Amino acid sequence: MAALEFKEATLPNGLRVIAEINQEAKSLAMGYFIKTGSRDELVGEEGISHFLEHMVFKGTKKRSAWDVNREFGEMGAKYNAFTNEELTVFYGAVLPEFAPRLLELLTDLMRPAIREEDFETERKVILEEIALYHDRPNFILYEKAQAAYFGSHPLAKPVLGSVESVQNLTRQQMVDYHARRYVPGNMTLAFAGNLDWQEILSLVEAMTAKWPAGRAIRNHPPFEPKPARLRDVSEKAAQTYTTFLAPGVSASSEERYAARVLSEIIGDSDNSRLYWQIVDKGLAETATAFHHEFDELGLFYVYAQGDPKNDELVSQAIHEQLEKLEREGVASEELNRAKLKTATSLVFAGETPLSRLFYLGMTYTYTSRYEPLTALRRWVLHLQSYHLNELLEAKPFSKALEYHLVPADEE
Amino acid sequence: MERKYNLRVALPIVELLNNGLSLIIEPQPWNPGLSFTLLVPVGAVNDPEEYLGAASMLETWLWKGAGPRDARDFADALDALGLRRQSGAGLEYTTFSASVLPEGFSASLELYADLMKRPHLPDAAFDAVRALALQELAGLQDQPARKLFNRLRREVFASPHGQPVEGTRETINRITPEVLRGEFQRRYGASGSVLAVAGGIDPHEVVRLAKMHLGDWGKKTPKPAAVSLSRPHRFHIEQSSEQVQIGLFYRDVPPGDYDFYTARLAATVLSGDMSSRLFTEVREKRGLVYSVSATPGSVKGFGYLRAYAGTMPEKAQETLAVLKDEIYRLREGVSRAELDRAKVGMRANLVLSGESSYARASTLARDMYLLGRVRSLEELEAEVIDVTLERMNNFLAGHPYSNPWIGTLGPKGAI
Repeated sequence: MAALEFKEATLPNGLRVIAEINQEAKSLAMGYFIKTGSRDELVGEEGISHFLEHMVFKGTKKRSAWDVNREFGEMGAKYNAFTNEELTVFYGAVLPEFAPRLLELLTDLMRPAIREEDFETERKVILEEIALYHDRPNFILYEKAQAAYFGSHPLAKPVLGSVESVQNLTRQQMVDYHARRYVPGNMTLAFAGNLDWQEILSLVEAMTAKWPAGRAIRNHPPFEPKPARLRDVSEKAAQTYTTFLAPGVSASSEERYAARVLSEIIGDSDNSRLYWQIVDKGLAETATAFHHEFDELGLFYVYAQGDPKNDELVSQAIHEQLEKLEREGVASEELNRAKLKTATSLVFAGETPLSRLFYLGMTYTYTSRYEPLTALRRWVLHLQSYHLNELLEAKPFSKALEYHLVPADEE
Repeated sequence: MERKYNLRVALPIVELLNNGLSLIIEPQPWNPGLSFTLLVPVGAVNDPEEYLGAASMLETWLWKGAGPRDARDFADALDALGLRRQSGAGLEYTTFSASVLPEGFSASLELYADLMKRPHLPDAAFDAVRALALQELAGLQDQPARKLFNRLRREVFASPHGQPVEGTRETINRITPEVLRGEFQRRYGASGSVLAVAGGIDPHEVVRLAKMHLGDWGKKTPKPAAVSLSRPHRFHIEQSSEQVQIGLFYRDVPPGDYDFYTARLAATVLSGDMSSRLFTEVREKRGLVYSVSATPGSVKGFGYLRAYAGTMPEKAQETLAVLKDEIYRLREGVSRAELDRAKVGMRANLVLSGESSYARASTLARDMYLLGRVRSLEELEAEVIDVTLERMNNFLAGHPYSNPWIGTLGPKGAI
């Protein structure tokens, strides 16, 4: 494997620029990581972060929406964007020769025109997107459980907003939100792959020289999980959908790798405690677990989907496994297996510049630190049982919120 | 724009083992990992009519123990190699894919060889396998787009290519352990199967290990079924949903055809990215949908183009009309700028996907199954470059995308 080189710079306007350079890569990926999402929306702005992500592609002072789409096409770029509770990311991957052109386009897009006419057309598209997700019971479950778990904390807000909030958003609100959140001090521009750092950095400096400096703040109100067991019916569901949300650790916590490996032990899709107790027995089609990391807190997320008649059995099995884990801790053999799998995934996460970009940009956005995949891999392989058992001593799963979404005729 | 990219990849190596197993290797010397795909031509297309869903259940059952290990020991042995895996039965074949570090390759191949040659297929696990199959089938109801396209396939093909991968309640309940063991004996085998490996490993070593672990794998796999079609028609599935799902199905050129890449480029003009016609006309200009696409696809010996849109009931009629018109309008030809963008897009895609060992291994295995040969990234690139505007527009004029099968799913009276 080629030696990787890391570079970083902070421009006078506050924009942070980072790059992991791999001279052997055949492509280059880049992306703007903006620390803004649904949790940063004010009352009346629900859904605006995601709506703005769409409007960014609708053009700038010098480009129409068509110009934007056409230019990406002319480079053969693989590109897209996504918004979640805390981040909005615009990214693209191209052959190295197109790097300056893609950089100029993405950078121009960070100052979108937000034209009234485009705003109204795109509102319809967003409403279609909401309708699309509302036909998916697993998504409905997540939105409901998230709202119930986080209560009055801003992480309770759904990323898409609601039909009503999206119908009421105005262009002026979006212009204000953009001015408040898309400021250089709240953004990181990340590169991964084959590039010339000096050339790229001077291009970035020239292109963003006129961006007014600025920072954005985020509220971190206290949060205390309240255990609950909730159940709701859905006209749309034929299967039962179940989730457990429990407190985890934050995106900047040293314990986050232990938490990720712990979630593999609980709910890896092929070989984990939940797999053997639930899927192998045919009680549910899916039973998995993940660890989500947010800014100041984290979340263990257990998910099962299957036959409504097994709803109670599946719930019992999950309870039993989580309680047993809190009581007895992890076994060293299962830890070794989960560590190895996580370590392998980390090797493959570096295979293409685009997959590398996400890890790189997100970690830096949250921690302001560079973590080479090789170091991460060593870190994971060095985890010991006590690292995971320390997490379990806080009894996170005793504080879980359990949510069931069941078909209407099961009531 | 026509300059050749420096792809810097070695040619894929093809070796046919004595037992009829095809071995494909694409070395990626820069890659610290490797991926492999074992493709066995066992799918819904060769499920007996009375046992639909057999291929899919068999795949689940295979993991319940093989060789000297029970299910749990088997999973633990794979995990001890740090291996990440995916597997599943589809319409024409079942694939077993994995990503692993090169030092774990030999041991993983040994385990997969046990899976193919010495699975336990234990009675004790059978009820759970059936319960999972029934749940997967029931879960389809909660995935409207998938449900529509499954039905569309059944409406289009008169041959077994219309058979549902998930089976039906009736056939799943009819399948017994004896039946499924019989299906394993009849359909799993080396001859006709493919092992594709891409990544940072010496190809000679791959050949040696494949011969060592899989060289004595016997038996043949079923012959591919011939395609036959129904007459194009329209149907509606009634289901209470927020959006109406719309699916169109057109005949297209088969894989290996002289015009295969011409048709692929036409599909790219139609739906390759956000500057494509469907995205521009249906979403950008009219705001009719969030999702709209046209995706080319193939089964052995036959090619098709499928189009999809999802929209709220009041816009469904207009969406279907615009979708059909845009696809039909291809016969008038494409512009030079459109063709150039499509070519750059396809070539960039080749390079980008060539960086992923997982993507390469699955593409190579599928190519070998569909075409009986594999193509290097250079060869694919040359095919794309060869499509001139004149050739493209002649093709489109002589091959109009018209008279599709049309399926819709949504509330009563929505469309």
